This record gives sequence, structure tokens and C-alpha cells, in this order.
Amino acid sequence: MDWRQYAGRCRNGAGEASVTTRAEQTPSPGIDGFALTYTAQGICKSFSGVRVLADVNVDFKAGEVHTLLGENGAGKSTLLKIMAGVYSHDAGELRLNGELLHGLSPRDAQRHGVYLVPQEPRLMPDLSVAENVYLGALPRGGLRFNVGWRSMADHARELLSAVGLHVSPHSLAGDLSLAQQQLVECARALAHGCKVVFFDESTSPLTAYDADRLFQLMNQLRGEGLALGFISHRLDEVEAISDRITVLRDGRVVGEAERGAITRAEMTRLMVGRELAITARAAHEKVAPAKPVLDVQHLASPPQVKDMTVQVRAGEIVGFAGLVGSGRTEFAESVFGLRAFTGSITIDGRTSARPTPRKSIDRGLVYLAEDRGRNGVFAEVDLSRNVTASTIRRLPRKMRVLLGLSEERSIARDALQSTRVKAATMASPIKTLSGGNQQRALFARWILAHPKVAILDEPTRGVDVGAKEGIYEIIEQLAKEGVGVLVISSEMEELIRLCDRVYVAYEGRITGELLGDDISLESMGRLAVGAT
Amino acid sequence: MTSIAVDTRRRPAVWGTALAVAIAAELVYFTLTTRHFAEHGHGMLVLTEQFMPTGVLALGAALVILTGNIDLSSGAVASLSAIIVGTQLHDGASIASAIVVAVVVATGVGALNGAVISLLHIDSLLVTLATQFIAGSVATSIGGENPPYNFSRIFLRLGTGTVAGLPIALLIFLVLAAATALLVTRTVFGRSLVLIGYSRSAADYSGISATRVLMGVFTLSGFAAGVSGVLLAAFYNAARADSGTTLLLPAITMVVLGGVDIFGGRGRVGEVVLAVFLLGFLTQGLLIEGYSSLTATMVTGLLLIAALVLKVWLSRAPGQSLSRAMQNALRRRLRLAGPS
Repeated sequence: MDWRQYAGRCRNGAGEASVTTRAEQTPSPGIDGFALTYTAQGICKSFSGVRVLADVNVDFKAGEVHTLLGENGAGKSTLLKIMAGVYSHDAGELRLNGELLHGLSPRDAQRHGVYLVPQEPRLMPDLSVAENVYLGALPRGGLRFNVGWRSMADHARELLSAVGLHVSPHSLAGDLSLAQQQLVECARALAHGCKVVFFDESTSPLTAYDADRLFQLMNQLRGEGLALGFISHRLDEVEAISDRITVLRDGRVVGEAERGAITRAEMTRLMVGRELAITARAAHEKVAPAKPVLDVQHLASPPQVKDMTVQVRAGEIVGFAGLVGSGRTEFAESVFGLRAFTGSITIDGRTSARPTPRKSIDRGLVYLAEDRGRNGVFAEVDLSRNVTASTIRRLPRKMRVLLGLSEERSIARDALQSTRVKAATMASPIKTLSGGNQQRALFARWILAHPKVAILDEPTRGVDVGAKEGIYEIIEQLAKEGVGVLVISSEMEELIRLCDRVYVAYEGRITGELLGDDISLESMGRLAVGAT
Repeated sequence: MTSIAVDTRRRPAVWGTALAVAIAAELVYFTLTTRHFAEHGHGMLVLTEQFMPTGVLALGAALVILTGNIDLSSGAVASLSAIIVGTQLHDGASIASAIVVAVVVATGVGALNGAVISLLHIDSLLVTLATQFIAGSVATSIGGENPPYNFSRIFLRLGTGTVAGLPIALLIFLVLAAATALLVTRTVFGRSLVLIGYSRSAADYSGISATRVLMGVFTLSGFAAGVSGVLLAAFYNAARADSGTTLLLPAITMVVLGGVDIFGGRGRVGEVVLAVFLLGFLTQGLLIEGYSSLTATMVTGLLLIAALVLKVWLSRAPGQSLSRAMQNALRRRLRLAGPS
């Protein structure tokens, strides 16, 4: 298929689709004139002896968004990765329009028209957007062996506008936001003429606004007869976008339903295998006005943080809302001592002029980083050393020099048990734990530091739905013990559930402060886009 | 609540056992095939004098590699130390002061490496490549046309003397090795350097000061090079401006053969010590058998590749194919996503 024809069609379709009021389109025939189906039958897969998928059947049809729903570790991602040739399967078969696909590699899959948009976009940051779009299939120029740079840029420009991304094809991919990079991935799928496109939790790092834009694009692609696969944790968006939903639990299909034929409560029950209490705003006791344990005045760390003033009192849970790019993480990193800044930071009455993470921890400020895999855990290291990593200098020593290793293990174990980490032995590498347990272990690490202030950046990211409540309990326990907590979160429900007070940031400035019952989705949403 | 077992057993030292078996096999082989191997002087112990300067260098290199860095200058710094101790002795300095000056200068070069790497944030490979040239040329110019040789007998005892039948050089190495092992496993500094090796960014976010630790590690590497240079001068009874430089790659080989991950984090000093003896005895054995040093080097190369494959094979999951295990090991090292 020619890209031109394609891009043209995309443009025509762009106006009419939107997420919430979706035009009911009848599935149009597949691109080549017949209804396309991509089927997986009896797929089994084990990683190092652990069964991840057991006899799974799913199919993806043209003109349909088929959502895979399930907790972390249910096998959704693995299934899509098998279907996109990233992993090989142990048993079962993949059929594209009836044709059996053998020994699929990602390249084969792309040749067959199957593309996986990964959770975190994997673009080449130092190449242009156009080069990224056509990577692996650069259009040839007039000499047949050179690259047709000009036509490539022109083609890319049309594809980008087709996916609703308005950036120059010459800009560097690394300069784009996460949401924009995902749209580039989509443009890539189109450039390669793909007919089956999988979105692996593509919305989880996105703000509501960017997620909406992605849904618009998905609607538009569905209208053009592509078969779309989607993975998400967020039940509201699953309801909004899906034509069909398949629920996976522990590597098995436990339910399948057409859109509208299943309620959220049923979805949750199928996912976790039990009923969950609806999370609502917890009844918080009124916090007596205590002294501020963290007082940040006019902090600036250009370009992301322009002017932020934040106070947290002892025993208080304060939220920090805002879109990705509003400077929340950069604020936290500046306060913790990882970035240069101007302004003043006072921790428990002591002003720290040039903080470093080490000094901050000593003064009672800890920071739970957003990116757990990179900045939180030491993946290959055992639990014990992971938990004591921030407090090595406070461990008991023999002859003032030698660390007491057995004392260390029991200190670490006590901390892990206080946050209810489930693990077999202290010697297991932390990467063998589930996301929720890893996060609990990191809480244990920071509890050992006896903090006065804890800044928690996306504390439930990558944590199962069923395990989030447990994390909230730990946070509330911290506050009850007098720790001032600042929770940075993109999930506004989480802030409503947890916080006594919420700051909202927009483009590096605090645009509002909400108290008690004023904390709502609407009020936070309005402030987060800079409206007053 | 389920309780987490505190495993007091040490992790099984699979690789250490493999190295020990290999050493035993090699000693038996050389003893059976070469008359001189076991009879040489006080037996094979005396042979260890030949490779103790390399061994000391390897201890420093192990610390650096555990942090995920590399020190290419340590060989040249050992040469510099050898030349300095030699010229000092010739200029009539006392043995103690000559040694102190040499080791202090070498430690200073190491500290300089550490300062440039951690304060200017330049990659250690590049910085130490540069200081290697600097240290090497300074050594050559100090040594002049006739580098010092023929030192006092008391000084030479450091290289070839024995105490109660044990070579002094071997004792120095073992003491330093024990100190290094304790440093890595049982001190705040050692724990910090290992965690930095596993993940520099997680260490930064945990409040571990990479600046201090890297300064310390490169300073210690310089110290090890200084000691190595003194042992070299004492063993050869001469100081040449290139005597240490040729030891760099064998020392790094010993560290890697000892199971230290070249990307940092994983590794045990005890196993590096075993690798020092494995490689040292192998080279000496082959030389005594009459093979050329070229053959010995070639065998070293083959051994290294075989060892790297064997290591993955020993640690693979049950039922996993070797090629899959190799792929996974690479993915883990490059910190790629995917099944482990």
C-alpha cells in the first residue's frame, strides 16, 4: 500500500473521532478488502521455569479495539510481545489471516504488518523524527543507493499530521515529550504499512489530555480498518475505547466480553479474583497545625521549575498534582539535592544551602524516586543490601569499622516486615519480587532512615491495582508517626484518596493549593492546565 | 504474616570452586610433567614471586572494576613507582623513605585520576588512558638512559626473600588481598563501591556519594600500583621504565577471570585471588616446560574465553540452553529489558 493514499485517508478521518463521544462506526473491511484477523491459539510460555502464559486464545480483528486487561504479571504484555515477534512461544500457534506464522522475529512481524508500540517509546534520541519514522525502510533517492532525504521528510510530515503530531520532521526524537514520542511510534507503524497495531500500556505514562489524543488516533485507525490491541490498567479508559475485552489472570484467559457487557466491578473481580472495596476519600483526622518540617521558598531550577513555594507540616499528607512536564519531579530532585537550584529549602527548621542526597537524608528528608527500575532498586542485589543502601553509615559496626552483616540482615528484615514485604528469603535479588513488593521494600529502605519528610514520586506506579491500597496504608502510617509526606502523583484519584492538601503545578509554577473537600478531579484538572 | 527467612548460609561459591579445581589440576599436571616445577627452590611457592607484582596490581584493578570503571594507568604508575624507588635508593635514600616516596607518588597519581573522573565527570577509560601516557613518560625521563639497578640485598629481600619458607612478596600480597576482601564486604566504603557498580543512578538516589567513593577507589588503585612497582624493582633488582606497563592487561585478565563483572557490581575478591594463582602458575608452568612466552600468552587468551563461557554455563537456570543463557547474561549486563 502506498503511504500517500494512507496519509490522505488519515487526514479525512481525523475530524470526526473523539474519545468520549465516539462515532459508532461499523468496522470497515480490512485494508486489502477482506476482514483481517490475527489469531493466537493455545499459546504457552514459560520464563526460567515460571509459567507466564497457559493455553491462551485471543484474536484481533480489523476495525476493532481489543483490550487485554489484567494485573501486573497476568501475562498481557508477554502475549502481545509474542504476537509481535519479540518473544518466542513454547507451544501454540499464531495465524495471520489463516496463514501460520513460524519463528516470528520483530522484523518478520513488521513485514507481516504487525507492530507493537512499546510502553516506553524506543526511539533513537539522536536521530530526527523522520529518520525514526522510516528506520529500517529508508526511502531511496534518485541514485537508488542513496537515501531520499527530501522525500522522506515530506512523507514523514504527512504521516505526522495524520497521527496528529505537529512537530518538524527534522526535530530530534530525543527532544520530544513522552506523549509525542509515542505518536512517532504510531507514525512508524503506519509508515511500515502495518495493519495490526498493539499498544502496550501506552497510556500509563501519559497525562489524561495526551491519553485522550492517543484514543482519538486509535479511534481513527479503527475506522480505517486496522486491528488494534491495547493493554491498560485504567478501567475508565478501557471502557471508553474497547470494542472487546479479554481479562487475563495468572497467564490464563478468565473472561471475555463485548463492550458494554461487563461492568467495572466485574472487570476488577475477574482481574484480581476477588471483590475490591471502592476507593474513596478516606476519613482523615484533622491534622493539628504543626510546625512545617519542609519549607521550600521560591525554588527555581530552569527550565522545568520556575517558581515553586511548598510547605509540608509534620503528620500531614500533601499532594502534588500536575501534568507530566509541570516540573514536579524536577522540584523534588532539586529539594533532595540532585539538581542545582535557586531559592531556599528548610528541613525541620534548618536551612540547607547546597544539599546533596546524603546531607538531605541525614537531615531527615527522603525521596522515593519515580523511576523505580533505574533510580530505586539495585535489581541484581539481594533484599538486605537493597534495604540498607541509604543507611549504610548508620549500621552497627564491629571495632568501629567492620559492618555486622548478621545484624544488618535482621535490621533489614524487621524493616521489610514492617512494610509487609512478601519474599522467601533475604538473599533473593530484589528483581524477583513483584512491583508492589519492590515498592514496599523501597519504603522499608526509607523508613530505616527515620525521615521527618518523605517526598514520594508516583508511589503506586507499576503496582497492581490490588496492591495499591497496601501502599496507601504505609503512607498513612508514616503520617500517623509524624512524618510530613509530599505525594507526587498523576493519578488524581490517588491524591483525593490520600491527601489533606494538594498543590497543583503548571509549567514550573504552583497554580493553586486545594484543601479538604475542595480537592476534586475538576478543581485539580483545571489548575493543572493553567486555568484559574 | 509470613516471615522472611534470614539466610545465614553463604551463597555457594560455584566459580571459586571451579577456579580451585582448575588450580589443583594445573599444579598436578605441571608436577607430573615437569621435574623442575615442584622442586624449584622451596617448591612451587617460590614461583609465586614471579607474579606477585601483577597480583597486587590486580587487587587495585578489582576495586576499580567493581565500581564499573577501569584504570588503564595502573601499569604505568607501577613503572613510575619502580623507577622512583630505584633512583631514590641510588641517591642514597634509606630503604624505608625510598619506598614511602614511591608509594606516595603513585597514590597521588591515583588520587589525581579519581579527582578528574569524579569532579569533571569524564569517563575513567579516557582519563586513565591519558594519565597512563603521562606516568609512563615521566617514568622514562626520570629513569634516563641508564635506569637504576643493583640495589642493596636488604631491599631485594622484598622481591625474592622468604620468611619461614614463605616468599615475602607472597605474604605482602596475601595481606593486601585479605584487606581488600574485608574492605569490599565489610566496610561502608566497600558496600558503597559495590552498589555504585550495580547501578550508579540508584546509588545517587540512595544518597551514596559517588564522588567520594570514586576518589577513594582510584587512590587505592594508585596505592596498589605503587606497591606493585616496589615489588617489581626488588624482584628484578632493576627498575625499567616499562616494567609495570606490561602487567596491566594480565592484571585485568586476572580480575575478569576471577569472575568480576567488567560492568561493575558482581564479583568477589577471594575469587580474584584464586585467578591470580591460576593464571600465574599457568604462565610459569608453561615457561618452565620450555614453551615460549608467546605460547603462554596465547593459552591465557584461550583460557579467558573458555572461562567466560564456562561461567555462564555454570550459572544458567536448569534446563536452559547455553546460547540462551549467554544471551540473557548479555542482556542483563547491558541492562536491557526482557526476561532474566
